[in-house]
Amino acid sequence: MNVFLIAWRSIQHRGLGSLLTIISMALGVMMVVAVLTIHGVVDTSFKNNNSFGYNMIVGARGGGLQLTLNSVYYLSRPVEAIPYEYYLAFCDGETRERELQRSIGFEARQTIDDTQALIDSLGVASCPVSHALIDAATTDSYRYQQDEAMRIRKDGVYRRWTHIAVPMCLGDSYVHPSTGDAFKCVGTKPSFFTDLVLDVDTEEKFEFAQGRNFIEESPEHGYFECVIGAAVARRCGLGIGDRVQATHGDPSSDSSHLHEQNYTIVGVLNGTGTPHDRVVFLNMEGFFLMEDHAKPVEDDSILGAVDRDEAEDDQDAADIDPDLVDPFDDENDTFENALQTTPPPAVGNQREAETDDLVDEPLPPVNPDLQRVPLPVEQREVTSILVRTSLKDPYGLLPDMLPAQIGEGDLERTLDWTPFRPVKSQKAAQGVNPVSEVTRLFEGIVDPIRWLLLALTSMICVVSSISIVVGIYNSMNQRQHEIAVMRALGASRGKVMSIMLCESILLAVAGGLLGWIAGHGLNALLSPIVEDRTGVQVGFFSFAPGLELSKLPVLENFASVLGKASVSSEILLVPVLVLLAILVGLYPAVSAYRTDVSKSLGK
Amino acid sequence: MLKLENIKKSFVQPDGTSVPILDIPDFQVNAGEQVVLLGPSGCGKTTMLHTIAGITNPDSGKVFVDSVELTRYSEAARDRIRADKMGYIFQTFNLLPGFSALENVLLGMTFARKKLLPKRAKTLLEKIGLGHRLNNKPNQLSVGEQQRVAIARSLANQPKLLLADEPTANVDPRNQQHIVELIAKSCREENIALLMVTHAMEVANQFDRIVRLDELNRVVADARASAGTET
Repeated sequence: MNVFLIAWRSIQHRGLGSLLTIISMALGVMMVVAVLTIHGVVDTSFKNNNSFGYNMIVGARGGGLQLTLNSVYYLSRPVEAIPYEYYLAFCDGETRERELQRSIGFEARQTIDDTQALIDSLGVASCPVSHALIDAATTDSYRYQQDEAMRIRKDGVYRRWTHIAVPMCLGDSYVHPSTGDAFKCVGTKPSFFTDLVLDVDTEEKFEFAQGRNFIEESPEHGYFECVIGAAVARRCGLGIGDRVQATHGDPSSDSSHLHEQNYTIVGVLNGTGTPHDRVVFLNMEGFFLMEDHAKPVEDDSILGAVDRDEAEDDQDAADIDPDLVDPFDDENDTFENALQTTPPPAVGNQREAETDDLVDEPLPPVNPDLQRVPLPVEQREVTSILVRTSLKDPYGLLPDMLPAQIGEGDLERTLDWTPFRPVKSQKAAQGVNPVSEVTRLFEGIVDPIRWLLLALTSMICVVSSISIVVGIYNSMNQRQHEIAVMRALGASRGKVMSIMLCESILLAVAGGLLGWIAGHGLNALLSPIVEDRTGVQVGFFSFAPGLELSKLPVLENFASVLGKASVSSEILLVPVLVLLAILVGLYPAVSAYRTDVSKSLGK
Repeated sequence: MLKLENIKKSFVQPDGTSVPILDIPDFQVNAGEQVVLLGPSGCGKTTMLHTIAGITNPDSGKVFVDSVELTRYSEAARDRIRADKMGYIFQTFNLLPGFSALENVLLGMTFARKKLLPKRAKTLLEKIGLGHRLNNKPNQLSVGEQQRVAIARSLANQPKLLLADEPTANVDPRNQQHIVELIAKSCREENIALLMVTHAMEVANQFDRIVRLDELNRVVADARASAGTET
């Protein structure tokens, strides 16, 4: 019989006392394991997201951390929005031209060009009326815009430093009608899934469990397609072909309201273990067209000056939501005459209304979603732009250099091409390096809290360990007699001491094992809450992240041998528990060592 | 097999005074001999056994067991010698409560530098009629059965010398006889020298030699003599 078996029999003999001691130890270890794994998994997930496929976020000036939490983790209240043109500053000339053609400014310029062409063709260029007409339309700002017109076909000012840029719009949520579960809605481009990668190191891309990516303008659903994350699909039982409606604003506040627009789900993402799993990704073109998402422009006199019917063959005049357009401004009197003579154009609204005047026969029923036209660029705003800087950056300077440049107002200057600006538009932008922001967050707030939690749970472990001493100590009277018997049978002092230590170690290890299982069970139980708060999935088999062995005390001397080998920090609990057990078992062990056999046998 | 030479042992009381317990000029037990040590309570029977077993060291004198001078050795060495060469039967059996009958016997082997022999442990228990109680814990055994397990345990390491400290004191008269016979028979079979302490005359009469400790131990003899003189 070895000492462990003798010790185990002793533990068994004190069944209830031993069980209580083990449970007490298990509770302490459970807390430590839960804190370690949940913190570890969240920590890893947060830090992993830093290599998410972008290294700069551009958004409205303000808190860099809030912008990061918004854009990377979909947490916190949304920040202000920035003009859509800031996104175009990161695009190539082709994209810019295609996008800017859908602008009020571009169409206004087109009108002047067309007027000039008409005058030229009529040969009345020398006529004073023609001069007056052109002069009336071509204000200084127009002249400037015309000069700039060539520039819109060129690459954006940040294009050469950009590898990928994807815009994002936040602020809406999807609330499941029956369960009440709320998920963030993100308006974005299809390039979110095609260009961005999940992990920069592995270049792992998004994968679809079902369906496909949404497309900007689908023949079936127009601009109203969406893709959902794995957790949304699972929790809400949603799948391909289902339709969802977004809620505007914070769903918990009274001011929120349900958008009338339906989106059709065309894709379900594979689970990524990241906050993306809990998001409904809406096609940004459709997102802009939802009520309250278009920004009213200051210079709506121009809206009247532009005959979009001529610019777009298939587009009829449409209603203008009076809420979207601000009353006239004194500054815009120049365009008053034009407004009086020209019907209002369609700007991001349904193609309807005046079609009856033009077509005598009744039209066959059409899907109204397919009748929508995109929102003009000037009325668009995005919450943030995710940018992966150019790969031609051997020294990795761009993620720090570009935010500094943007901070100096570089992007604001790109707005000069058009005089039409949304009312109360937030023009000041900032660029942040999400890695730095998250690192700062962790170093400043999360890490100290984690250490505090760990310290508290470690104290629980110490208290539990003391319960081992108390448990063993309370039985010392009876034990002294048993020890004396063993000594009389020939056991040496060292042997009885080692039996006591083994008993302490067995109690600690049994408690530790039970606590470890309970801790992971607790993780599985807390999984929905952690997932709700952080979007990170934590399960029974989620382990605390690895610690590099060569960075641990003592082992640092063997760095060359250990290399980058790492172990889960949970594994460290084993030597710590054994050490603790030895420490607390020393007292009863020494007592056993000192037992006076003659006296104790007589008891 | 056992030889004591000028053994003296005294205890120090809390007030610092030294109280002599043993003063044995010469005592011997031969190999295979069965000796009963008779004496009233307080005459130093248990202390003498503890001294022979090496549990306590005498203040002076020598103890020889199987020609090994026990008193020369350190406590750890004496523990080993005790485990290897001696068996011990206690008055209160002292079976470990968490262990089964078989494990209690095996425990006796554990501390000796011998191979653990579960087969021998089983055989011993079967020989004393407890083959059907191998896995029973002490609290599931009768008093007589417990003492029989204790006997089996003391014989587990095939000792040269068996020390028995009033082994029948806590058992009923019917079992007393059975226990005594069992001890005597077992020692005879394995040629083990036996030194049994008892104060029961009917038990003592069954053995080869009876030694009265109150006569052997000068401390008690002198005290009695001086008491007699006084009276």
